[in-house]
Amino acid sequence: MATFSIHGSDEPVHQARKHSADILVDDKLISVLPISLQSFSVKQSQHPIKIYAVVHGDSVYVQLHGRATRIDRVDPTRANAGANLNGGGISLAPMPGVVVSWLALPGSLVKTGTPLLVIESMKLQMTIEATLDGMLEELPFAEGQTFQRGASLARVCPDSPNGAAV
Amino acid sequence: MSIRKLFIANRAEIALRIVRTAQRMGITTVVPWHARDRFGPALQVANETVELMGDPPVSAWLNPEALIKAALDAGCDAIHPGYGFLSENAEFSRAVTNAGMIFVGPPADVIERMGDKITARNFAAQHGVPVTPSAEEESDPTTFAERAVSIGFPLLIKGTAGGGGKGMHIVREASNLAQAIASSRAESQRYFGDGRLLAERFVEKPRHIEVQVFGDIHGHVIHLGERECSIQRRFQKLIEETPAPMLSADLRERICQAAVTLASAAGYVNAGTVECIVSQTGEFYFLEMNTRLQVEHPVTEMVTGLDLVEWQIRVAQGDVLPLLQEQVQWQGSAIECRILAEDADAGFVPDTGKVLLLQEPQGPGVRFDNGVMQGASIGADFDSMLAKLIVHGANRDLAISRMRQALQETVMLGVTVNSHFLGRVLAHPEFQVGKTDTDFLERNKESLKPIPLTDEDRRALVAVACAASRDPYSTTVQDPHLSMGAWRN
Repeated sequence: MATFSIHGSDEPVHQARKHSADILVDDKLISVLPISLQSFSVKQSQHPIKIYAVVHGDSVYVQLHGRATRIDRVDPTRANAGANLNGGGISLAPMPGVVVSWLALPGSLVKTGTPLLVIESMKLQMTIEATLDGMLEELPFAEGQTFQRGASLARVCPDSPNGAAV
Repeated sequence: MSIRKLFIANRAEIALRIVRTAQRMGITTVVPWHARDRFGPALQVANETVELMGDPPVSAWLNPEALIKAALDAGCDAIHPGYGFLSENAEFSRAVTNAGMIFVGPPADVIERMGDKITARNFAAQHGVPVTPSAEEESDPTTFAERAVSIGFPLLIKGTAGGGGKGMHIVREASNLAQAIASSRAESQRYFGDGRLLAERFVEKPRHIEVQVFGDIHGHVIHLGERECSIQRRFQKLIEETPAPMLSADLRERICQAAVTLASAAGYVNAGTVECIVSQTGEFYFLEMNTRLQVEHPVTEMVTGLDLVEWQIRVAQGDVLPLLQEQVQWQGSAIECRILAEDADAGFVPDTGKVLLLQEPQGPGVRFDNGVMQGASIGADFDSMLAKLIVHGANRDLAISRMRQALQETVMLGVTVNSHFLGRVLAHPEFQVGKTDTDFLERNKESLKPIPLTDEDRRALVAVACAASRDPYSTTVQDPHLSMGAWRN
C-alpha cells in the first residue's frame, strides 16, 4: 500500500496498491493498461482515457486531457513534518533567483504586507512582503546574492500577544 | 552580395527557426551555445556550433564583441540577431557592418530612428500617425513627475529603450508615481542599459494591434497585414492571431496604411513591426516600432504562405522585396500560443525543472516552433518561453478548434507549463466571439480557473502514478505485459 497526494489539491491523500492486473485506489479497482513506456489507458465509466506519466524520484508527473499535474508519493511517517517549521513568518522563495534590493532592515518592526525585499527571477521582479506583524529577524541573502527555490528569504518573528515581554 | 555562412546571435526556438530557412536557401549556419545551455534543438540542426562564455549566461548573448569575433572566427559573412538580446541595438548593427559582415536586420541609422520609443513617437506624430499624450523625462528631468501628472491618470511609465513589457508600470494615482518611476528606471537600466523614461496616457482595455512591415534598400515598403496580440499578462503577449477579430475592414486598412506611411518616411529596411493600441471606441494610437523579427511572426507566415526569415535574408543581401503590395494574399486565420515554463494558476510564476517527457502536437495546420529537447533543464537563466504553437485554419473557428486540440496533445512534463491555461483561454466564450483586449485575462480571472478534477479522474491519475512508479509496498509485483493480457476493449 502506498499513499499518494495530488499536487495543488486540498483533497485528502489517496491509498493505492497493485492488485493482480489492476490498481486498487481507495477501495475502487481500476484497470490500467500501459500503451507505451509513458502513457496508459484507464477504463472509466464512460470511455477509456489516456494518461501520460513519467516518474522522477518520489514524484510522478501525469497529464490527462491536456492538464498536467504532479503526484507525490507520501511517506506517512514523514507527513506534515515541517508543517510548523514555518509558523507563517518565513517567506520562502517561489522560484530560484537573485536578490535585487532590501526594502527593510533586519531588526525593524514590520506589518503584514510591508515590502521586505525585491527579488528577480527569469526577468521578473517580485516584491516579497511580510506575512505577519512582528520584527524582521533576518534577510539571509544580501543584495546580488542568488538563491534556490524554497530558500528562506526573510524571517519575521511574530509580535508577542498583548505586547507581553518574551 | 549573397550570404554563404550565417551566424545566429540567438538561441532556443528562434535559432532553430532561422537555421531551417537559411539551410533551405543553401546557407551554412553557425549557432552559439553556453555551458548552461548546451542541448537546444538548434544546436542539433545547425551546421556548426561555437561556445560562448559569460556569467550570468544571458550576458554571452549581449556581448557584441564576443559575438562578432565568434562569427568572424567561424568564417561567417552575416549575423542574424533573431529577437530580443541585441536585435534592436543600433551599435550592434553598426559593429557587424563595420566588421565586414551583413547584419540581417535594419541598418543602424534606421534602428536609431525607430527603435527608440521617443524618437519614434515624435517621428510618428510628425507624419500624421496618431500618438497618445506623453511626457519625456529627457527634455527636462526635474519637471518629469509634474509633467507626467499633467497628462492625467491612468499613466504608463516605461523605459524609452525597452520592450516586451519590461520596466513598464501603470500608475492610477499621484501617490504611486514616485515608486513607479524608481522601479521603471531600475528595471530599464538593468535590462536595456538605459534608464531614460517616458510617461504616457494609459488607454484602458485597448486591443493591441500590430502591423508587419517590410522594406528593401531600393525604397519599397509594404505591409503583410496585422496581428492582434491583446491576450497579455504583465504586458507580455501570450496569444497572437491574424486577422484581428472584430476589426473592421476600414480600420484595418487605415492602420496598415499608417504603418506603411511611417515605415516609408523612416526609410525602413528589413522586417519591422508597427505596434498600435486600438481603444474601445475605435481610435488607434501608435505605440512603438520593433525593428526586428517578431516572436509572433509565424501567424503572418501561416496566412500569407511566405517565409519572413527568407525575406529578411534576401533584403539584407540587397534584393528587391519579393512581392508588390497588391501581390500579397491572405488566406484563413492563424493563432499562436506561447508555451511558457510558468504556473498560470499561481499568478503566472515562472517554474524551473527538467523536461522529463516531451511530445510535440501534430496534425493538419499545426506548427510547433520548439526550443527545448526532452531531458533539458529549465533554469532561471533564460526567458521562460519554451516553444510556440501555431495553427492555421480556413476560418477563426477552425483555427481555435485546432489550437485547442493541439494544446491538449502538447506534452511537456517535469516543469509546469501554461498549455492547459492557454486551452482554457481558447475555450472561453469571450475569446471565441473575439471580445479580446489587454484586460481579458484580468477580467476573466475567475472563469479561467481550472475546474477541480472529478473523483473518478483523481483515482485514475493515482492509479497510473501507482502503476508507473516502482512500488516497494505493493503486494503483487506485475510485469506490465502480463497486465496487458487482462485488457478488454
